[in-house]
Amino acid sequence: MKIAVLIKRVPDMDVRFKIAPSGTAVDESGLKFDISDFDGYAVEAALQLKEKQADPAASEVVVISLGPDVVQETLRKAMSMGADRAVQLKHDAPLHDSYAIATALAAELKGGAYDLVMFGRMSIDTANQSTGTIVAELLGLPIVTAISQLTVNGGQVTARRELEGAYELIACPLPAVVSIDEGIARPRYPSLKGIMAAKKKPLETKPAQVGEERYKLDKMELPPERAAGRIIGEGKDAVPELVRLLKEEAKVL
Amino acid sequence: MGSWSASSVLFTIVVVAAFGFFSYNVQRLVGELQLGRHDDSRWNDLPRRFWNFLQIGIFQKKIFRDGVAGPMHAAIFWGFCVLTLGTIEMILGGIAPGFSFAPYVPAPVYAFYEMNQNLWGALVLAAVSFALFRRITKRVKRLQGKETHADDPLLILSWIGALMITMFASHATTGIVHDLFWWSHALLVLGFLNYLPYSKHLHVVVSLPNVFLSNTSGPGVIGAMRPMDLESDIAVFGAKDVTDLSWKSLLDGFACTECGRCTSVCPANLTGKLLNPRKIVINVRERLEAEAKGDHSKTLLDDFITEEELWSCTTCRACVQECPVSIDQLSVILELRRNLVLGESRFPEEVMPAFESMEQRGSPWAFDPGDRGKWAAGLDIPTMAEMAGRNQRPEVLYWVGCMGSFDDRAKKTTVAFAKILKAANVNFAILGQEEKCNGDAARRMGNEYLYQMLAKENIETLERYGVKTVVTACPHCFHQIGNEYPQFGGNYDVVHHSTYIESLMAAGRVPLRDDLHEPVRTFTYHDSCYLGRYNDVYSAPRETLKRALPMLNLVEMPRSKDRGLCCGAGGGRMFMEEKVGKRINAERAEEALATGADAIAVACPFCMTMMADSVKSRDSHVDVYDVAEVVAGRLA
Ligand code: SF4
Ligand code: SF4
Repeated sequence: MKIAVLIKRVPDMDVRFKIAPSGTAVDESGLKFDISDFDGYAVEAALQLKEKQADPAASEVVVISLGPDVVQETLRKAMSMGADRAVQLKHDAPLHDSYAIATALAAELKGGAYDLVMFGRMSIDTANQSTGTIVAELLGLPIVTAISQLTVNGGQVTARRELEGAYELIACPLPAVVSIDEGIARPRYPSLKGIMAAKKKPLETKPAQVGEERYKLDKMELPPERAAGRIIGEGKDAVPELVRLLKEEAKVL
Repeated sequence: MGSWSASSVLFTIVVVAAFGFFSYNVQRLVGELQLGRHDDSRWNDLPRRFWNFLQIGIFQKKIFRDGVAGPMHAAIFWGFCVLTLGTIEMILGGIAPGFSFAPYVPAPVYAFYEMNQNLWGALVLAAVSFALFRRITKRVKRLQGKETHADDPLLILSWIGALMITMFASHATTGIVHDLFWWSHALLVLGFLNYLPYSKHLHVVVSLPNVFLSNTSGPGVIGAMRPMDLESDIAVFGAKDVTDLSWKSLLDGFACTECGRCTSVCPANLTGKLLNPRKIVINVRERLEAEAKGDHSKTLLDDFITEEELWSCTTCRACVQECPVSIDQLSVILELRRNLVLGESRFPEEVMPAFESMEQRGSPWAFDPGDRGKWAAGLDIPTMAEMAGRNQRPEVLYWVGCMGSFDDRAKKTTVAFAKILKAANVNFAILGQEEKCNGDAARRMGNEYLYQMLAKENIETLERYGVKTVVTACPHCFHQIGNEYPQFGGNYDVVHHSTYIESLMAAGRVPLRDDLHEPVRTFTYHDSCYLGRYNDVYSAPRETLKRALPMLNLVEMPRSKDRGLCCGAGGGRMFMEEKVGKRINAERAEEALATGADAIAVACPFCMTMMADSVKSRDSHVDVYDVAEVVAGRLA
């Protein structure tokens, strides 16, 4: 079985961002980057699928990422978790249009004879949730999105999707595209053994065949700072003042 | 014995056979040790080693930590030293009839020697009788345990008793009766010698060299972990089996007397966890003996020692401190943890966010690194970068640490200490955003890769600013930067805040309020493991408290100073759930509250959390303070 996992390098989201002077990007100084959360789940799910095969060594997990050379670090991390090899689709300028990105990914996947193509449900930085779907369309393959469980049996994939208070099971033939939601599996922590092994695994770099961008990012802005709270008193005595402020200052009453 | 006789010929043959068999066993044991990993850190600093040998070995310093077993064991040990001379005389006399030391030394010396033979023989006999009596009637708790060889001590003690009785009997009799006793004594001596290699009483011969070769009481930095060379390809990370352990850890297995002192002070074991440091050491010997016999079907990790045991350890070093023969139980635990994490990524799942955050954000908690210096807002404290911008270099760097920077309770200590530094006019700065976790928790959890990454980044930062002196309120930062960063080329003069404050106060640099109306307060001080057992800082925090509170009544808990009980947070336990048994911090808080003190003082942010949580959960009104807070509260 041959599995491709498409992964994205994203900044650690637990920090306060600053906008770069260009006004169309975040200031990357001091930011830490890692594999996008859902993509990490996808890598883990792929590795578990491979390990469940009767002959795991006959299966292959290939990780693919689009971007400048820094994405090699992200690809190495996926290989230190256990992916067999990696492909960097080199592209240095920032890309925003999911369609342009999807064309480059589809071009790489097309001749690859993959049985299963896996995405994270969305990237945690831009959260467009669209690249995987467009890739499936471009490849003419079925896609099941946001799945929380996955089994592959004799040329067929069965996936579970969580709904509000229910779930659905979807079966479709391979090859197929799936996008992974978080419940599926906790990504493994790379062991030092894995990190050492990853240094020796093949990482191929080729130019990305990016399609035309049909829209561009105009401007990025931070939300306005919230004004500091104020304590106007305690207990019953503070109520009249509170009501007055809500009426006169906040104008919500 | 008469002149040259059939008897002496026969005896010579017996002696040669006995020593031949013994040397065969010695070679066998040395061969077993050679199965271990190369370790050349055992021959440096010979003066220190001789000192340990004298103090701990010959003068039985640690044995005496137990008031009952101490004198009993010392009598047997010293008795053996003296009686060995007599045994040599006896053996030579058996080979060459009529031999005696008497012609070779002045008469009074020989008389003194003979008197001592009798005196020590009697003392040994009394001591073994007492030991036997105690074993049989009292079931001393620390001597129990299913991993021990419980019948062995009874056999050995009876054997020693028989040695003494036959010795006295042969002296007191003549003729055939004498010959009978003489022969039985001689055979018991030689038999004893040859039984040792098969018994837990191998310690009789191994413990002295073990004390000499041990690094647990120095030389070098006590408690520092072995640095791993991560660049070179290593087949096994840490240790999975005995063959991956240092040969010295294997010698530890031979030296263990199964006395159980280590387990009797282990906070994990005391509160009902599976971990048992004595079992770890016994397992090493058991597994080594099987390996030496060619049994490769099992490994030390998993088949003998389980993950659950390993993750219960708080790395408090109480076991190491207590062991009378200087065994290092902790290094085995830590090497096995390394294998779990580096080799197999096996660790409690709740640890994963801490690892990831240390890597991503330089702190085990998911705080924005940009907020590290936020506590200092409005306090007018410069960062190193700001000072460097003004071409200035402070006298000391205040290393705040992750707890001190992000934890709400610990931040109060941080501010208190900063106020003291300001009041004393100390020229200091902080690193702010450029400070990263010291990596101690990662290293102690076996994640050497992550640890070295953090340590090297921090050293780079410290070097960039030409830092010489570091003060810190966190014992883990203190231990790491001072004792373990030198392994990577970071050499700084690191001072714990308790020591620093004490020296400032002693120099009269800390202006305190007038003390006329200070109430009498009763405090008890809880020792941090990484300050106390790892670094021997016991008096500074106590002295600081006394200087700060003129009316202080300082009461000690039963377990204090080098016997202090861990708070439960060390060794990465801070980040793991504590599901089995009683909580360690509950055990410790109860002990502190039982002193009747109205406040508990600590000198570590981890101890602070553990103690404060447990005290609070008991609805107690006892306060928990850091020593810095106590001093800051009295600033003029
Ligand atoms: S270091 Fe402390 S917790 Fe760990 S085994 Fe020794 S005594 Fe127990
Ligand atoms: S390791 Fe040391 S303290 Fe523990 S049982 Fe053995 S000899 Fe005693």
